[in-house]
This record gives sequence, C-alpha cells and structure tokens, in this order.
Amino acid sequence: MKATAAITGGLALVAAAAMGPAEISPRAAVTFSDEERAAILAHGPWPPSMTIDTSNRVSGRPDAIALGRRLFSDPRLSLDGTRACTTCHDPERHFADGRDRSVGLARTDRNAIALANLRLNRWFGWAGAADSLWAQSLRPIIDPKELGTSAELVQQRLTADTSMAAAYARIFGAGLAFEPADRALVNIAKALAAFQETITTGRTAFDQFRDALERDDREGMNRYPLEAQRGLKIFVGKGRCTACHFGPNFSNGEFDDVGVPFFIEPGRVDQGRYAGIAAVRASPFNLLGAFSDDPAGPASAQTRHVEQQHRNWGEFRVPSLRNVANTGPYMHNGSLATLEDVVRHYSEVDIERLHGDDGARLIQPLHLSAREAADLVSFLRTLSADPLVTK
Amino acid sequence: MRHAVYLSATVAFAALSATTATACLIPEGFARLASPEAEIAYRWQPERLKVGQFFEAEVIACRGPGQGETREVILDAQMPAHGHGMNYRPTVTALGVDRFRITGLMLHMPGKWRLTFDLVHGNTRTRLVREVELRR
Repeated sequence: MKATAAITGGLALVAAAAMGPAEISPRAAVTFSDEERAAILAHGPWPPSMTIDTSNRVSGRPDAIALGRRLFSDPRLSLDGTRACTTCHDPERHFADGRDRSVGLARTDRNAIALANLRLNRWFGWAGAADSLWAQSLRPIIDPKELGTSAELVQQRLTADTSMAAAYARIFGAGLAFEPADRALVNIAKALAAFQETITTGRTAFDQFRDALERDDREGMNRYPLEAQRGLKIFVGKGRCTACHFGPNFSNGEFDDVGVPFFIEPGRVDQGRYAGIAAVRASPFNLLGAFSDDPAGPASAQTRHVEQQHRNWGEFRVPSLRNVANTGPYMHNGSLATLEDVVRHYSEVDIERLHGDDGARLIQPLHLSAREAADLVSFLRTLSADPLVTK
Repeated sequence: MRHAVYLSATVAFAALSATTATACLIPEGFARLASPEAEIAYRWQPERLKVGQFFEAEVIACRGPGQGETREVILDAQMPAHGHGMNYRPTVTALGVDRFRITGLMLHMPGKWRLTFDLVHGNTRTRLVREVELRR
C-alpha cells in the first residue's frame, strides 16, 4: 500500500497559483494518509449483507413483509383511526416526518428517526428502549402519545377484516381471534418489522468514491467533489467523528452524550439511555423473554449484558448518517434544523453541558473555520440516496 | 482485514518470562500474559476483535509457588483517551479449576483500549494489563 493516496483535482495547480502563500487553495488536491484511507474504507462496502432476525420467525418472509406493508399505513392501529406508522415515518419524507418532535395523538418528546437499514441496528429508538425491531414496532401502537390503542382493540379490529385475519393465520399458523391479545400484538409487530427490514438505502456518491479509493481508481476518485473530499478528511481526522459514526452504517450502534440539552421543558428531563436500559430490561417483550423466537441466540447477548451506568444519563443513540441530508431536523429532540446547525454544534459545543466525564474528553469543540464547516456539510450531503423498499 | 484488532506490544507486563512467578503450559491457540506476580493464558472468541462485536475470553490462571486456586477472574476494559469503559457487564463462568470463560465483552469504539485481568486469590487481587488498538 502506498504511504499516501493523493487525490488530485484537475485544476489544482492553476488555482493554487492565484492564492497567497498562507491560504490553501479550494482546488488543492486532497491527500489521505494510510490511517485516513483505512478509516474511509471502513465505511463500506455498501450495501452490506443483511441477515434475517432470528428473534422474529417471520423475518424475511414475503408474506409477512406484505402484511407488514399493509399494516404500516393502517389507521386501525391508532385509537381514533386517524394515525398510522406512516404519520411519523412517511415514505414520501424518507420514512421520517420532517418535524422537530413528532406528533401522534399528542406531541411526543423526540424526533422521529428515519427508517432505513434497520437490520444493522443493535438497539432501537433514541434511548434504545427496545432491543429488536419488532419490540420497537409494538411500542408506538400502545403509547398514549403515539397511536394510543391497545392489544385488545387492535386484535378486535383486524379480526373483523377477513383478508387481514386470513393473512395473519397463514403466516402465524393461528387464528387471530383465538390468540392471547399480547401474542397477537407481538405477531403484528413482527410483520411490521419484516416490512421495515426491507427499507434500505442505495449507493451514494461517497460509496462510489470509497470504492474508487479502494481500487486506486484516480478517475473515479476525481469525480467526487473536492469540498466533499476535504470534509471527509475532517470527518475521519480532526473531527473525530468516526469514534461514534463508525462502519458502513456510520454508527457504532451505541449511545453518547454530545451536549444536546436533555430538558424537555422546565422541570422535565429526558433521561435518554439511562431510562432506556431500565425499560428494555423490564420489558416482557425483550429478547430474553417468551415472545422472542430465539431467546438464547447470540442477539440476546446485548440485553443479557447491558448495564445501567451513571454516565448513561442524557445519552442518546448514535444515529446512522446514511441519508442524513434528507432526514432533518436533527438530534433526539429535533433541536437542530439543518446540517449546518449540526456542524456548528460540534464546532462550538459547550462541554459544560456534557453529563459524563467521558464525554468531556471525547467531545471537544472543533473550532472549524467557515470553509471547514462548509466542507464537512458537503461531505455529509454525499451520504444520501433515496430509500429502496421491497415492492 | 478491516476493523481488526492489533495487539499492542507496548504493554510492560506482557512478554516477560525470566521474572515470572509461574511457569504455565500455554495451550495451542492461547496467548500468554505475565508479570512478576502472575501469569495467565487467554484466548478470544472470535479470535480477531472488531469494533462493536461481542466476544468471549477464555482465561487459564497459572499458579505460582504455594499459590492457591484462583477464585475468579474479573476482566474489564477502559478507553484511557475517552475515560470510559464498556457499555456491557461481562459474565464470568468457571470452567474448572483456574479456568474461566468471560462473556458479554464488547469494545464499542475504535482506538486504544486497556484490558485488565484481575485474578482473585482469597482476599488478594493481582492485576495483569493488556492494551489493544482497535482500528477503524
């Protein structure tokens, strides 16, 4: 391997000649060290292989995916019949809703996370209060602020739909009307999860660059905008972004406190991961419980070993950055409207807001120049591609 | 291979032999970690550690002269640069005399991790340290 991978912009020399000696030309070539190159390659290849969820026996089944797709937009899952999963996870809005905090039957405390590439997640929700996609899919159905219904009501309504009840019986081998209500709700959530697993994002301009870098294809690399290359260098270098936004999905799947205030309103705090761990351990729907189809499987290790620690207070999930330009507002409470705001946050972060000592060492203000901030945003914009959904 | 772990050779405790208190037969596939006070053989499963992937450790505690059985091995990990440890609490299972399996280990960020093996003998603990560099 070469000591450095120089990616040259065709007009670099021409532009540099017009610059003062202290300035770096905006058209100057971007070079990456071996370490930076390795960090960039670790963000791919894309797409990765996706496996089925062994805790969900209908994961990957076409009939369950079809049922889940129907249920995803079915308002009968809400108490008053006016809301559905699509209310906050709108396919026309990249499976998010564009709001800062989502509104179901009432305004919630958090931003709706865009749904895509979900098989790559270990935990679900901003606090990781669910350890499987099916458990996460169940929660909004019965949350009074979201769809606000009950297992019994959903079972009753869907049983009255002959077509829906027949599909359920074919997939789960039992009549919907005769199931215990909690079992019926779990199975409905498993069908919803089977559908959501099929929502993936396609290859992006970054992926093309990353693959060109891997095969040392200069022409391919040169198609990637120079400002995005400079932003990428910040991302894997002085930005220290890859400590958390790691791997092909640009997330290590864990949680961190990045200095976003966790007061919802005066006197009310979002405890984040601290409460999420308590919730998942207490949930009868976790991967260790009777509703999992693989309670002793390797996926359950996360739930068996997760430990609530003081520093979890105010931590929130590290979101994937795939499709990030299309899925604002940002942060757990949607408090940052644009990518420029997000980059400014990390550039000027107030470490006094960090709850844990660990965060204070990892998260430090980046003090980016205006051009560096713009370059970082340019890079983030190259991570987007429209969601692909199984038809 | 991407994301692979590179065991650092910088750890002062490692690779000592002449001053080691015990002589331990290191089974095939195990690595050795020793100090003047203690010695262990250990292996990871999977063998190559990756960021964000659960792994297990199997540890054999070697006995020094006159030393009794090792009651427990406590394996923990810290990221000195960030000041945090793991997000998960490992579970230790005794596989036999002086032999342990530790499950539920995960290093969730790339960078340098400091792994500590605390060997518990009666009321005393002896610590061995191994640093690993988890690459991005």
